[in-house]
Amino acid sequence: MKNSDLISAFIYTGISLLAAGFFIVATLSAQYSNVDRFGGAAWVFILSMIILMPLIIPAVKKR
Amino acid sequence: MANELKNLKTISLRISGMMCAACVAHNEEALSSLPGVTKAVVNLATGKARVEYDPDKVTLEDMKKAVSDAGYEVVLDNIQLKIGGMSCQACASNIETAVGSLPGVGRVVVNFATGSAGIDYVPDITPLAEIRDTIHELGYDVIEKIEGLDELDRERNARQKEIRRQLINLIISGTLGTVVMIGMLQPYWIFPTFVPEWLNNKIILFFLTTPIVLGPARQFFINSWNGLRHGVTDMNLLYATGIGAAYGIAIINTFWPDAGFGGKNATFYEAAALLTAFIILGRYLEAVTRGRTSEAIRRLMKLQPKRARVIRDNQEMDIPAEEVQLNEVIIVRPGEALPVDGLVIEGYSSIDQSMITGESMPVEKGKGDEVTGGTINKTGAFKFRATRIGKDTALFQIIKLVEDAQTTKAPIQKIADKVAGRFILGVHMLSMVTFLFWFFIGFSLWFTPDSRMMLTPYSLSLVGAFGFSLLVSVTVLVISCPCALGLATPSAIMAGTGKGAEYGILFKGADAMETTARLHAIIFDKTGTLTKGEPSVTDVVALDGNDQEVLHMAAVAEKNSEHPLGSALVSGARGKGIKVEDADDFDAIPGQGVSASIIGHKLLLGNRRLMQEQNIALEKLLPEAERLEYEGKTVMFLAINGAASGMVAVADTLKDTSVQAIRELKRMGIEVIMITGDNQRTAEAIARQVGIDRVLSEVLPEYKAEEVRKLQSEGKIVAMVGDGINDAPALAQADAGIAIGSGTDIAKETGNVILVKDDLLDVVAGIQVAKATLRKIKENLVWAFGYNTLAIPFGMGVLYPFVAQLVSPELAALLMATSSLSVTLNTLRMQGYIPPVKRVRQPNAVSGLESLPAQ
Repeated sequence: MKNSDLISAFIYTGISLLAAGFFIVATLSAQYSNVDRFGGAAWVFILSMIILMPLIIPAVKKR
Repeated sequence: MANELKNLKTISLRISGMMCAACVAHNEEALSSLPGVTKAVVNLATGKARVEYDPDKVTLEDMKKAVSDAGYEVVLDNIQLKIGGMSCQACASNIETAVGSLPGVGRVVVNFATGSAGIDYVPDITPLAEIRDTIHELGYDVIEKIEGLDELDRERNARQKEIRRQLINLIISGTLGTVVMIGMLQPYWIFPTFVPEWLNNKIILFFLTTPIVLGPARQFFINSWNGLRHGVTDMNLLYATGIGAAYGIAIINTFWPDAGFGGKNATFYEAAALLTAFIILGRYLEAVTRGRTSEAIRRLMKLQPKRARVIRDNQEMDIPAEEVQLNEVIIVRPGEALPVDGLVIEGYSSIDQSMITGESMPVEKGKGDEVTGGTINKTGAFKFRATRIGKDTALFQIIKLVEDAQTTKAPIQKIADKVAGRFILGVHMLSMVTFLFWFFIGFSLWFTPDSRMMLTPYSLSLVGAFGFSLLVSVTVLVISCPCALGLATPSAIMAGTGKGAEYGILFKGADAMETTARLHAIIFDKTGTLTKGEPSVTDVVALDGNDQEVLHMAAVAEKNSEHPLGSALVSGARGKGIKVEDADDFDAIPGQGVSASIIGHKLLLGNRRLMQEQNIALEKLLPEAERLEYEGKTVMFLAINGAASGMVAVADTLKDTSVQAIRELKRMGIEVIMITGDNQRTAEAIARQVGIDRVLSEVLPEYKAEEVRKLQSEGKIVAMVGDGINDAPALAQADAGIAIGSGTDIAKETGNVILVKDDLLDVVAGIQVAKATLRKIKENLVWAFGYNTLAIPFGMGVLYPFVAQLVSPELAALLMATSSLSVTLNTLRMQGYIPPVKRVRQPNAVSGLESLPAQ
C-alpha cells in the first residue's frame, strides 16, 4: 500500500469513526435501544466512509 | 508550443466496465490527470475514450494503468496472424520481443508449434501494417490473416457476451426472486390455498435469497469496491448498499428476530431479491437497446466486403479485401460489393450507392468514372483500378467520421455528465440526511405501528427507529440512481449521427450537431452551391424567328474557343440535336468575342462593343437584350455577313432543388442569406429567382469569412454552406460549416457537417436530423431528471406523514429500471425517423426554371 493510500485511509476512517461516535453521543439524550444506537452508528459509519473516500483519496493524491 | 502541438496524437480506446455517467467522469479524470494527455473524452454509449496525447510524455501502458486504477479496463484490438519461416522457439521469442516493443502493442503471444501469433494492439498507435513490417524485417513471412475477429465481430461479440451474462443473471434472480416473493406472500390473500407453508419459512427464504446476493448481485459489490478503493463512486455503490442493507436486515430478523428491525415477520428477503432482479432487468434491457443505437455504424461496417477478386500475373485471384494493393486491377461481377475505391477501366454497369450517398437510384458507371468501396454492382461486370485502399477509402473515412462524432460531446451533454458525476456522492449525502432526519425527528413525530411499505405484504409495526430510518435511507439510494441521465445524451447523439450518415449527411461532432439544430441564419455561397456552377444557354432570340439557326451559327463560331461561354453554346446546341461543324477559320477578339467563317458566311459573335466597332446595327435587339441583362444573363450578339441576326443569352443555372431547399429553410424560421463575388444586379437576379431576400454581393472569397463574423456579431448562430475547399475560411469561421457535394473525398473537407451528395435538400435534412436529435436529447433529459426530481422526495418519505406508507426498495428499483428503459426506448424511436423533407420528395422542384440566370 502506498503512503498516500495509508494517509487517506487514516483520514476517512478517522472522520467516519468520529461521525459514528457523534451519532452515539446524540442518541444518549433520548431513550433509544442499543440496536437503534449501534445499528445507526454502523450505518452512519458506512455512509460516511462512502462519502469521504472519493473526496479524501484524490485530495491526498493531489498533494 | 507549436512543436508540442505538432506531436499530439489522438487514439480511441475501448473501455470495459462502464455503467453510468459517473464512470465516464472517472475515466475522463483518470486519463486527463496523466502528464502528456491534453484531452480525454469518454462516451458511455460507445464504451470508448478518445484521448489526445503527446507520445513522448505518456504511453499506452500509462493510460491502461490509469484506467485500471479507476476500476475499469482498456480492451485492445486483437489480431491473429499466421507466421511463416519460424524454425525454433527462439524465433517466436524474437517476434514477441520485437512486436511487443512497438508503442501501441499490448500482449503478444507467438505460437511456434502452430505458426501463429495473437496480438493485442491499438491500431491508432501502431497500425497492422507496422506490425507486419516488423515481422517481415525479422525475416519471417506474415502469410495470411487467420479468419479472425474484425471490428464488427468484436463489437457484436462483446455486446452479446454482456447481454448473455445479464440474461443469465436475470433468469437466476428473476426466478428465485419470484419464488421468494411468493414465499413472503404465503400467509396473505389467496396464497395459503396453493402455496405450501414451508415456503414462508425464513430459513428457506434465506437459502433462496443468498444465491441471488452472492451470484447476480455480486457484480455490484465487486465493482463498487473496486471503485471505492480508488476513491471513486458509481451506481454500483448505490445498488450494493441498497441490496446489502436489505439482505443484512433480513439476516438479522431471521436469526436475531428480537433485535428491533421489525421481527421475523419483516425479513425483507424479497426486497433484496427483487431489488437485484429489477436492477439486472434494467441492465439487461439497457445492454440490448444500447447496442441497437449504433446500428448505423454496424450497417456501414457490414458494407466492407471481406474478399476481392484481383488480377495478378495475368491471373484472376481471390484474396482478402484488406490485401488489395494500390493501382491493382479488380474485377467485379453483378451483385458483388466493391472492395475498395477506384476508377473504372473496362466495362459498364449501374451501381447502387445508396449506402454511401443516400441516393435511392443506381448510378450508371463506365470507363473513367470513379467507384466507391462498399457500393453494390447491380448489372454488368467491370474492371477498375484501385485508387484508395484501407483507411483511405471513402467508406472507412465515413465510418471513422461517424465513430469520432459519436465519441465527442455536445455542450448539453457536458453539463449532464458533470451533474451525473457528482450526483452519486450527493445521493449518499442525501441518504445520510434522510436517515438522520427520520431517526432523530421523523420517527418519533409520525411513526404509526400500522405503517406499511408499498407493494409488500407486511406491516412495519415492530420496526424500531433504526430499522425504519435505514429502510428510507436505502430507498433513497436506490430510487436516486442516475443511470437514465448517463444514457440520455450519448444514445441520442449516436442515433442522430447514424441517421445522418444514412442520408449522406456526416456530422463531425456532437457539438456540430447541436449548433446545427440551433441555427438562426444560414449563408449560401452562390456559384456551385445554389447554382450548378457552369454556364448554359438560357435564351435564344432570332430576328427572323429561326432560333435553331442562330444557336447553330453561334455554336459553330465558338466551337474552337476555349472560353467557358463557348463550351456552353456548343453543349447547348448539341443538347438540342444540332450538329456543330468546324468553322473554316476562327479568330478570338480579346474582350469582345470571336469571328469565324463557314461555307462563305462571315460570323461575328460577341458583346455590344464588338458589334459597335464592326458598325452592326443592334436597335431591334436592344430592348430584349436589356431585359435579359437585367435578369443577370450574359448576352452575346450574332451577326452574319455584317448584319445582326440574333442573340444568345448564357447564365449559370440553379440546381434542381435550390428553390425548394430555400423555401423549406425559410419555413423553418431560419434567415437565408446569399453571398457571392458577382455584381449586385446579377446577385439580386438569382436571389429573386431562388427566393432569398438578403444578398451579400461583390464579396471577394477572402472576405467571406469576415461577412460570417459580422453576422455572428449580431448574436446569431450562423451556418455557411459552400464548397468545402474554396470556401474553407468561411466554413471554418461559421458556427456550423456545411460542405456540400464533397463526393467521397471526405478527408479533405473543412466543414463540420459534410454532405456527400450535391443536393441542397440535404442541408434541410441535416438541420432536421440535428433538430430531431436535440429534441430527443431534451426529451431524454426531461425523462431522466424528471424521474429523479419526482422520485427522490417520495423515496425520502414525504408521503409517509399523510398515508403511513413508504416506497419499498424493490419498488424503487422497478421505478429506476423503468426510467432507464424509457430513455433508451425513446432514443430507439429515432431509428424510424425520416427527415420531413425526405418524406415527400418532389421530382423536380424547379422544373421550368432551368433558364434562371446567375452569372
